[in-house]
Order: sequence, then structure tokens, then C-alpha cells
Amino acid sequence: MKLFKRDHTKLENLLIRAYHERERPDVDELWQMRVMSHIRSLGPVRSGRGYITLFEQSVWRLAPMTGLLILILVGLLLTLDFMPDYEMAKILIDDPVEFTVLQWFGV
Amino acid sequence: MNNGPSQPSDEDIIRRVIGGDIDAFESILVRHKDRVVDIVRKHVPYHEVEETAHDVFVRAYQSLATFKKRSRFEHWVSAIAVRACYDFWRKRYRSRELPMSSLSEEHQGWLEGVMQDRSDRSFDDRVSQEKAKELLAWALDRLSPEDRMVLELVYLEGRSGRETADLLGWSVANVKVRSLRARRKLRRLMAGLVEA
Repeated sequence: MKLFKRDHTKLENLLIRAYHERERPDVDELWQMRVMSHIRSLGPVRSGRGYITLFEQSVWRLAPMTGLLILILVGLLLTLDFMPDYEMAKILIDDPVEFTVLQWFGV
Repeated sequence: MNNGPSQPSDEDIIRRVIGGDIDAFESILVRHKDRVVDIVRKHVPYHEVEETAHDVFVRAYQSLATFKKRSRFEHWVSAIAVRACYDFWRKRYRSRELPMSSLSEEHQGWLEGVMQDRSDRSFDDRVSQEKAKELLAWALDRLSPEDRMVLELVYLEGRSGRETADLLGWSVANVKVRSLRARRKLRRLMAGLVEA
């Protein structure tokens, strides 16, 4: 049996009615007591925002700027034609202070 | 919530709770439990409603300090309730705790009968109501938690994209795209059932 648009609409209306017909349980006083007992066991609400929350907020506030900075740096590196191997070799060869750089690396 | 002149507002009670009067939270619980249960019962199985509603109030209590007076408390707690239901399905989806509901040939036969009946009276008897509920549960079980929630909120409850986005904490564009996809999936599921 092939379904047409009007069949889908009919089916959807049927499902919407079924959805709204779902039973509603009555929450009794016992449930309320259980919730309150759980809440009391948690202790008082912390009114101030914790350091972790503040840190998380600061990190997200800085995220767009950090992203932008990374993009700018990548752009700069690409335009400057930066090659780390070449730069390192150049430093070693042109080292004005004898072998200082090599000594840093423990060679 | 609109309270009488003698009754303290939600904001007053929240201030007391934050000030250390934990018992004052019971007033919030009494005031908003019907709303929360009404939201939760639409999204989770009947036997999980109490547990999920319990979770909603615990979450609300724990994040009470983040409640901003700009929004109304009932809207804030409604969003917590919807997200708790969403988390319920995400958890269940990950752990695959329950076997999926299944349909019998009887359901298929009933569905074909409904489709062939050109009148709109196919849903009037109790048996039909039960069959439609089982059919709905079967279809929703086959959707991801995201699709399930957005389909329920947008198509089954008739909420707007913005309202749904606020409740779920998603962008409006995400809600629109997801709801279209979810509806298409639901239609495919139904078509597969009838055309099988």
C-alpha cells in the first residue's frame, strides 16, 4: 500500500492524538518527601559562582580571540615563508658566539 | 507564577533558599511540580516519570544560584525538565538498557485499516487509542534522542522553533534542520510499515 501526502497527514494527526493521550501519574506526598530529603542531603546552595565556573566562562570568552590570533599567526607564517629546518640550520651556521646553541642542546 | 498578595514570589523564595533556608525550596516544589510532571510525562515512559521529575528538582536546586531574574522561574524550570528528559534518552540510547518496543502483525493490519478508512473516526475506541500509542512508541524508539525530542516538541506539541530552541538550549537553525529531518524519518518509518 503506497502512502500519499494526505495519508501521512492522517497518520501524523493520529500520532499527535496518541501523544496527548499519554497517562499522567499523580505524584504523591511521599514523592515530595523523597525529593526534599534528597535536597536536604545536598546541603545549602552555593550562592557564589565557583572558581571552576568562572574559569570556564573566561576560557570561552577568550576562545574567539585565541582562534583569531592563531589564524593571524598561521597567515603570517605562510606569507613569511617560514621553514623551521632552514631557520635552525641558519642559526647554527651563523652563530656568532661559538657553539652556544649547540651547547644548549647538550651536543 | 502569579501568586496572591500574601504569597511570596518565586524570587523571594529563591532568595531565602540561597540564603541557607533549604526547607523553603519545598514551596517551589509544591508550586511547580504539576508543570514539571506534565512536561516529563510526555517525554519519558510512564514508570520513569517520578524519577525524572525528582531529578529535575534536584538539578533546579543545584543550579538555583545561576537563575537570572530576567526570565520567569516556570520557564527556567521547564527548560530544566525538557533537558532532563533529553538526557534520559541520551543515557538510555548509549547504554541500550531497554529492548525496543516491537509491533505485531495485528498493528500492521490495524494501521492499514486506518489508512483505508476515509473517515476520521478510526481513533475513537480504546483499542485504537492503545494501538496508536504503541505505534508512536515504536516509531520514537527508532529515532535518535535528538530527533525524538525535537519531533515531540515541534510536531507533536506544536511548539515554535524559537521556543524549542530555548528549551533545548540549541540554535533555532539547528531545531529547524533537525525537526525537518526527524519528520522525514518518521514518515519513512510509517511508510515502511504500511508498504511492507
